[in-house]
Amino acid sequence: MDYKEITVLVEKYWEGETSLEEEAVLRDFFSTPHSALPEVLQEAAPLFGYFHREAEKVWEAPPVKVVKLSPWRHWMKYAAVIMVAVGIGYALKQHQQREQQVLVALEQQELNDPQKALDETKRALQLLAKNLHKGTSKMQQLSYFNEATAVVEGKED
Amino acid sequence: MSLDRFLTQVVPVRPKLYRFAFRLLGNEEDAQDITQDALMKVWDMQEKMAELQNMEAWCMRITRNLALDKIKARKYRMSDELDRAGELPATQQKSPHAVTEQNDVMEKVHVAINALPEKYRTILQLRDIDGHSYQEIADILDIDMNDVKVNLHRARKTVREKLQNLQVYGL
Repeated sequence: MDYKEITVLVEKYWEGETSLEEEAVLRDFFSTPHSALPEVLQEAAPLFGYFHREAEKVWEAPPVKVVKLSPWRHWMKYAAVIMVAVGIGYALKQHQQREQQVLVALEQQELNDPQKALDETKRALQLLAKNLHKGTSKMQQLSYFNEATAVVEGKED
Repeated sequence: MSLDRFLTQVVPVRPKLYRFAFRLLGNEEDAQDITQDALMKVWDMQEKMAELQNMEAWCMRITRNLALDKIKARKYRMSDELDRAGELPATQQKSPHAVTEQNDVMEKVHVAINALPEKYRTILQLRDIDGHSYQEIADILDIDMNDVKVNLHRARKTVREKLQNLQVYGL
């Protein structure tokens, strides 16, 4: 392969029109030193030399770090599940307790009702009686006064 | 994904992922961490593996995303070499046959490539050093194949201009 073909390939390379195979040919060509290169190739030589060097570089990936996966590595998930379970349990228990309290209260209310009603009625009747009694005493006073008036008037008659 | 599949299909890609991470981050320690994180992420996303057509490209994409996140998070500076790119005097190019001069030339090319925007640099490295096809690069970067071609052309053009400005010729 003479410089002419390589020159054409280099021009194609700068235009972004080379295939992978053609680029491999270029890398291969520039991997060895050549004398009396035309200016176009001299310009491209450092770049392809660099590509060749980088491609040949052996990369030793460092040894794998062994990460021990603890069974407790997801402890927050477990804690959250436990918290939710405890929360639901507590809420259910509270609900049951309240229901029971309401039932007991209702039962008690049913049992106590007649007595309470009787007491209330008695109190109301007592108040009524008291007020009536007040009225009666006033009427009595009035009747005494009437009687007295009648006596006086009768005496006069 | 079974452990066997992970060991036979993902773990062998590890050196490639490490090299890719190293190029992006510029140092061994971070490259190791990112490679490890990428493998852990691949393991965690194992249910996706069945749908994949190109496992290697997918692993590389994860590695790149993690590396870019790291760069963004720490406002990473690749190295001081980037700053020196424009300061290199052009008068040092007189004896290209000497070994030291050759190293110097290589260093300048390295600096010129590293000074490219990340996307250009990655595409250039994946194509011209690793020999990936346009489709593979498109899969790794999750972009359109035409974008790969356009960006590769621009990257080569930019490097050419930089090397011309630095008067880097011959070996």
